[in-house]
Amino acid sequence: MLYNHQDLNVLKDEIEFVDTAVIPFAYGDMNEDPKMHASDMEMMQMITVHLEKQFKGRLFITPAVVTVNGITAVVEDYSEQLRNYGFKKIIILSHNVPQVEGTHGIQLNHIPLEDMSADMKMSLIDDEVKDTMKQIIAVWNNKK
Amino acid sequence: MSQKVTRRQFLNYSLMGVGSFMAAGIILPMGRFAVDPLFQGEAEGAMITTSIKVDEITEEPTKVDFSFEQQDGWYKSEVTDFAWVYKDGDKLIALSPVCKHLGCTVTWAGDDANPNRFFCPCHNGLYEKNGKNVPGTPPRGPLDQYEVGKSDGFITIGELKPNELVN
Ligand code: FES
Repeated sequence: MLYNHQDLNVLKDEIEFVDTAVIPFAYGDMNEDPKMHASDMEMMQMITVHLEKQFKGRLFITPAVVTVNGITAVVEDYSEQLRNYGFKKIIILSHNVPQVEGTHGIQLNHIPLEDMSADMKMSLIDDEVKDTMKQIIAVWNNKK
Repeated sequence: MSQKVTRRQFLNYSLMGVGSFMAAGIILPMGRFAVDPLFQGEAEGAMITTSIKVDEITEEPTKVDFSFEQQDGWYKSEVTDFAWVYKDGDKLIALSPVCKHLGCTVTWAGDDANPNRFFCPCHNGLYEKNGKNVPGTPPRGPLDQYEVGKSDGFITIGELKPNELVN
């Protein structure tokens, strides 16, 4: 499910089934290596599209949270809100996973997409997606 | 017509992704407004040729990807979906992988305990090979079906329709 009005309508009736929130968390700094962050974001966007397709009925993908200077206060507050809304599991998907209590972090790999052919990109992203899916299933299976 | 929904949903997904989510509010309404008539013309009966040969299909459901270009206003993208295709005698059957519970993607034989069924990993939904949902699991109806055909020995995929194999 996504943060749009149709999905939010379904979400409030089906929160029992859509029990997992995923927060894509990214850096948008201009001063240190913005190109790497841009590449990370591009990759994260592709991954979230795939994840949503695979696990639409159980994942709620929140709007991306973008920070600068490594500030994590917004993700902390957001996780809290999501928990109060009724999500049982909260996953932070990021190239820079912050330590936030009660959340599961999924660390993505830095892959420099800039000089890659489309095919190459697709296959790398595909691997990353599979890996992420495995980690999400692991979160589901361990009943914390 | 139902493909229209998929395309539009896909657009939503892409737009709601990282970075572009702020623009979504602006682009989306304009895109919808501008594009609706286009979709209607195109949605009728177009079969998409895939890169899978009819000979490769067996009685075991196989993943068949198909891509189409989606034009929404000035926003153009290639969308890839897939269908589970198998042979029933010499009849081709293509089923949608979208779970009828809450929309996750189902896999053939995804659960070791159910090697001859489709499995949905989200809430352990199960379907028989013809798409019939297994009672007692969350799905509320059978998997949808795609029009399927052949062209020069390759599988073609057409419109999505309700399941006609299950009664
Ligand atoms: S979405 Fe498939 S069983 Fe719930």
